[in-house]
Amino acid sequence: MSESPIISLRDVRRDYALGAERVHALQGVSLDVARGDYVAIVGPSGCGKSTLLNLIGVIDQPTSGSVTIDGKRVDAMSDREATQFRLRNIGFVFQRFYLMPILSALENVALPMAEAGVPKDERVKRASGLLTYVWLGNRQRHRPSEMSGGEQQRVAIARALANQPKLLLADEPTGELDAKTGTEIIALFQRLNNDGTTIVVVTHDEDLASAAKRKIHMRDGRVVDG
Amino acid sequence: MLLALLLLPLLTQDSTVTARRSTEARGTRTIAIDEVLADQAHLHVGDRVSISPRPNAPGDTVIIAAIVRRGADPSEVARGDLRVRLHLDQLQTLSGYSDRVDRFAIQTSPVADLPRLIERINDVAFGFRAYRSRDIAVETSRTFQVVSRFHRAIGIITIVASSVFLLCIMVLKVEERRRDIAALRLMGISRSTVVRAIVVEAALIAVLGSLLGIVLGWMVSLFVNWHYQAVYRTPLAFSMVTPPIVVVAVLLSLALGIGAGIAASLRLVRQPPLALFGR
Amino acid sequence: MRAVLAKASLVRHRARTMLAILGVAIAAAMLLDMVMLATGMRESFRELLLTRGFQLRLAPKGTLPFDTDATIADVASVVATLRRNPDVREISPVLGGSIHIPIRGRDLSASILGIDPRVQGDYELLSGTDLTAPNTIVVNQRLLRELGSKLGDTIQVSTGYDPQTRSYSGQRALVVTGTVRFLYGASDQSAAAVRRETLQQMNAQSPTRAGDRASLFMIRVRDNANVEAIRRWIEAQLPNVSALSIATAIAQVDQRLSYFRQLALILGAVSLFVGFLLVTTLVTVSVNERAGEIAVLRAIGVSRTHVIEQVVVEGVFISLIGAIIGLLLGLITARYLNSILSAFPGLPMAIDFFLFQPVAAWSALGLLIASGIGAGVYPAYRAASLPISETLRREAIA
Repeated sequence: MSESPIISLRDVRRDYALGAERVHALQGVSLDVARGDYVAIVGPSGCGKSTLLNLIGVIDQPTSGSVTIDGKRVDAMSDREATQFRLRNIGFVFQRFYLMPILSALENVALPMAEAGVPKDERVKRASGLLTYVWLGNRQRHRPSEMSGGEQQRVAIARALANQPKLLLADEPTGELDAKTGTEIIALFQRLNNDGTTIVVVTHDEDLASAAKRKIHMRDGRVVDG
Repeated sequence: MLLALLLLPLLTQDSTVTARRSTEARGTRTIAIDEVLADQAHLHVGDRVSISPRPNAPGDTVIIAAIVRRGADPSEVARGDLRVRLHLDQLQTLSGYSDRVDRFAIQTSPVADLPRLIERINDVAFGFRAYRSRDIAVETSRTFQVVSRFHRAIGIITIVASSVFLLCIMVLKVEERRRDIAALRLMGISRSTVVRAIVVEAALIAVLGSLLGIVLGWMVSLFVNWHYQAVYRTPLAFSMVTPPIVVVAVLLSLALGIGAGIAASLRLVRQPPLALFGR
Repeated sequence: MRAVLAKASLVRHRARTMLAILGVAIAAAMLLDMVMLATGMRESFRELLLTRGFQLRLAPKGTLPFDTDATIADVASVVATLRRNPDVREISPVLGGSIHIPIRGRDLSASILGIDPRVQGDYELLSGTDLTAPNTIVVNQRLLRELGSKLGDTIQVSTGYDPQTRSYSGQRALVVTGTVRFLYGASDQSAAAVRRETLQQMNAQSPTRAGDRASLFMIRVRDNANVEAIRRWIEAQLPNVSALSIATAIAQVDQRLSYFRQLALILGAVSLFVGFLLVTTLVTVSVNERAGEIAVLRAIGVSRTHVIEQVVVEGVFISLIGAIIGLLLGLITARYLNSILSAFPGLPMAIDFFLFQPVAAWSALGLLIASGIGAGVYPAYRAASLPISETLRREAIA
């Protein structure tokens, strides 16, 4: 018996207004992602791949269609339900890292745990462990301004893993990094997936896309391949 | 009822509100009352009343011949006194004052040499002194002087407070545009150009704000006068917006607005553009 | 964590935060001053009236005590009538007037009170002895200085002076036995007190002031007595007098000085509004700058409520610190403003226009802090409610 997919989209559309015009960012997308998979979504700029990722990450809602994550329908959740769902089930990594500049690396990683109600000692221990996992064990007290781009992105990845999410989503994670640093991130994603994390990345980076187990091609708001 | 003697008020020019005078009945004297008293006691011209120097003592029956509005005397404003005007001889008899008065008021011809006249009177004065009305006014308006000083202090505090508020809000608003400023600087626009642009904007806002403030101040002044003139039944002007006040207010707000704009913009242009982007 | 984030956010923009705190402090100071002004006069006047425990005052009908030269005749009869009420414990008749003292070729005038030293409530003795004997006088320090005299000296005091003939009437030699502080005395007033019968004897020749008269009666009633009922009874028994309770006296003074209360109300409201505006502006600018950060917090699962709380905590920090500084600033400016208003001619020295009353002050500052909370809520709610994906996209472009 095959396991149910961790992500399941059926005929998902997303429209929004841009000035006087109506933009159809997604036009009836249906796809499944299996547990433990490592998927790269690729396509030209404006094809709707980031929009798709946002819907999977429950930070946006579709105009129509259904989105199911880990067996739960997420497309019609209230803001509170969606927030809780994101906190406990999804880790998000952004192109621009988006770390809190006023917090140290350790505090940044601990932030989602604090929100989830994890006691202080526990979250310090876990955050420290996560930073070690991403090879930043000796940089825990540093602020983002004292780190390179690659280090910041690794902190962001550690933060995304804070509450042991079922799903890791990454939007252009190597977009602001040089090639060498990008390689480190690619290696990290590989390691995460080998350790069982389901990963979906949106990327222009060919190397990152090639490292994935599966590629989904998009164009003009539709899945054309994969 | 208070009895007060005012023949020709030194400080005020009373105007007679109700000019109709009733004919004196034979033997019945007439008096004039102020409009506050007329209002409170529901008296009208032609009414007969009894006046006496002590409560419940026998007195004279008189007819109210006129209702008078008091002049604009700031020292009287809040006292709530009620005023009655009698013929001098009647009041002297009633009060047992005999042939005495508290003061004489003298109206001189427009070309009179007042200092010399005062000197001549004082030379021959026997137990009294002559003063210019203006000098007396200064002496008796000490209350008003205290209030003026208080207003001035409040005004100064308000200006200082407003300056801080203005600077605060200017800094915040200019900071909101730090990225725009950074982009301009990266493009090669000089610091002085950026500062000038912000200062021009601040000056414009200051000018518009001043105009609005003057209109608002004038309207508030009208309201204050309307309200307090009604409360105290006096023609005294409590608030006046004069040209010098307008000029001072505009210049001050311009100076503050432009100053705040300069301070706020200098703060930002001194930082490297990339720092403004947060890098 | 929220407090840590809030504090760190404020520290990040130090100058801006300090400026906002200063602005709130000034608003708090003005608000405090206006609260002190609104209630100060009334409360300090009430305290003054109750200093010696006299709850009722009788003045000639239609007047306030010492507002005019009018007097109440036949003091003995008035006292006898008052004594018929078992709630009346003590009666202190006071006769006011003015005296003239020839000194170094000129006439020195001062105000005088004729009192009964056993029940008087008008002064406290500072040095020397009270009016235990007839033909004695106690003076305030200003008058003593003007006379150039010392305790034990005899001075010629008259109650009448005709400037035309430069002659004195009602003259008597009185021995200065003590210096006093008049409770209701103004700072710029020379004043003295003698026994009431002494003053009456000196007034005997005056056509308008002769006889058994008083300008004022001060009455102390039994504990727990109904002051208002006694007041009404007195006015019914004595139609020639106006009986004033503390409440009535305060109401009269309130009416005369209503301008200051209204000014206090208006300026206080403006201060509160400005404080609110400052915090709102600061919080709005702060969250607008951090729209991306806030969107990320929401994206990683921080709830809207917690985001709002963090932002509101920033507003509270500023309001709280500003309120504390404002309290100190307000007390200093209140002293300065009080010194200006204390120069009102004839105002008793004991009256303060600005009186610090803990309950009123803390309420006002609490209101300011509450408004600081309110000021932060709306901009925070708006920022936390922005669509996450759209905000991230906009921030990425920016």
